[in-house]
Amino acid sequence: MTRPKLIELVLKNLFSKPATVQFPYQKTDVEPDYRGVQYADLTKCIGCSLCAIECPADAIKMIKIPSGYEGVNKLNKNMIYPLIDYGKCVYCYRCVKVCPVNAFITTNKYDIAGPSKPTSEELSLSTLKKVG
Amino acid sequence: MAITKIVEVPLVIAEIPIGPQHPALHEPLLLKVYADGEEVVKVEVNTGYNHRGIEKLCEKNTYIKDLFIIGRVCGICNAVHTDCYVRALEYLLGLEPSPRAKYLRVLTMELERIHSHMLVNATMAEVIGFDSLFMQIMLDREKAMKAKEILTGNRVMADYIIVGGVRRDIDDAKKEKIKDLLLKLRPRVEYYKKVFEEDETIVKRLVDVGRLKPVDVTLHSLVGPVARASGVRTDARAEDKYDAYSEIPFNVVTRKEGDSWARMMVRWDEVLESINISLYILDHLPSDGNAVPDEKRLPRIFPAGDSYARVEAPRGELTYYVMSDGRSTNPYRVKIRTPSFNNIINSAFMYIGHSLADVPVILTSLDPCISCMERVTVVDLKNNTRYRVTVRELASGKV
Repeated sequence: MTRPKLIELVLKNLFSKPATVQFPYQKTDVEPDYRGVQYADLTKCIGCSLCAIECPADAIKMIKIPSGYEGVNKLNKNMIYPLIDYGKCVYCYRCVKVCPVNAFITTNKYDIAGPSKPTSEELSLSTLKKVG
Repeated sequence: MAITKIVEVPLVIAEIPIGPQHPALHEPLLLKVYADGEEVVKVEVNTGYNHRGIEKLCEKNTYIKDLFIIGRVCGICNAVHTDCYVRALEYLLGLEPSPRAKYLRVLTMELERIHSHMLVNATMAEVIGFDSLFMQIMLDREKAMKAKEILTGNRVMADYIIVGGVRRDIDDAKKEKIKDLLLKLRPRVEYYKKVFEEDETIVKRLVDVGRLKPVDVTLHSLVGPVARASGVRTDARAEDKYDAYSEIPFNVVTRKEGDSWARMMVRWDEVLESINISLYILDHLPSDGNAVPDEKRLPRIFPAGDSYARVEAPRGELTYYVMSDGRSTNPYRVKIRTPSFNNIINSAFMYIGHSLADVPVILTSLDPCISCMERVTVVDLKNNTRYRVTVRELASGKV
């Protein structure tokens, strides 16, 4: 019975980079089209609620756009937008695919943990212009 | 001092619970082992620690939402579950996806088989105390995960297969990336296969442990690599030739030994076979037809009737039964029968006669997936009846 050549492996591993990533300080390498955090572009969103109806994880809630923002799509008569709870979201991108006006912006961001509850509120409202 | 009295200690059979929380088990399962000294005389398999009521949940949600719920029955083989469910729905509709979509589905499932088999081989190395091998295999498994991420958009949860096709297409740059990763992975898998063949520790711990005769396999309806390692040539891919398997050349790996070692070796050979299938798909991907259907126009109500589909999951044959009443947007019934359900619940006879230390080895060689197998049907053997348990009964602990 022959043994696998260990010496070669030991020397190789001695001089190679560590395989682990120091995560919070060093980002994990992900693909550009990785299914990460997604949010609605409110200049396109028409407030149809289809994403909230179709969400398998029930992570999307339609809420009122707060006053003090301009640039909302004219078809959005009810002035509502999808608020995604990233804690509940399973990142299946059903909302992205089902949107009739392709209003969702997709990113490959995956590190959502933080002191506050992760939602799409800030990201979605950043697509609008703030007035006053 | 002379011996004045001899006390005879009667042989006591000890009951040793292994699980539901145990370092050798990665998921909650209780093996009640009755041991006479070190020798196992009886094993009872107790399940029910991970029951989530997925089948009922499917009845309460729409057909399309169920796609994503079903992907979460089992984390490791999610694309296979979705493929089986989607094919059952396509049989109801009488819909045939384009050849390109079929090839891409097979590619996802084969990438999944590669990483699933590597995972269980790594777990086996860990269970027998070979931790450095566990880490090495897990490191190389990342290549298969990366390939899956490039193809589907996520390392684990594919959410890739949908009624009528797949959810994203593949271009030449991605093809080259996946090919590169698989070509890098192949020599590593060949090396690990050699380690499993030649390493003294592994051979001593695995060879002749949990030997399974072909007659036992058919008697207890064991499926997948467990059956193939005992020489029973059963593979849904070769038997049904679903999706694109009718056009892709591949071998069904079988072995005659039937012990734990043979089961692991069948898995290594299948990984190599899956790499060949994946490379063949990347070279021969048909370009006709649209692989990605418009998700806005997916059917919401399916024709009345029932359909039944089966796939070869990494752990064996997986079947889905879907029933539609033709009126509702929700399925009337979804029945899942997973390979682990057969392989684990019917495996209690395999442990008898082995030592206690062999119990985790035999269990791991069966590749248990506890989240897959938690289905509740009570079969009363004495009265020859069976009935389903309601969630309320389960919650109140009456069963």
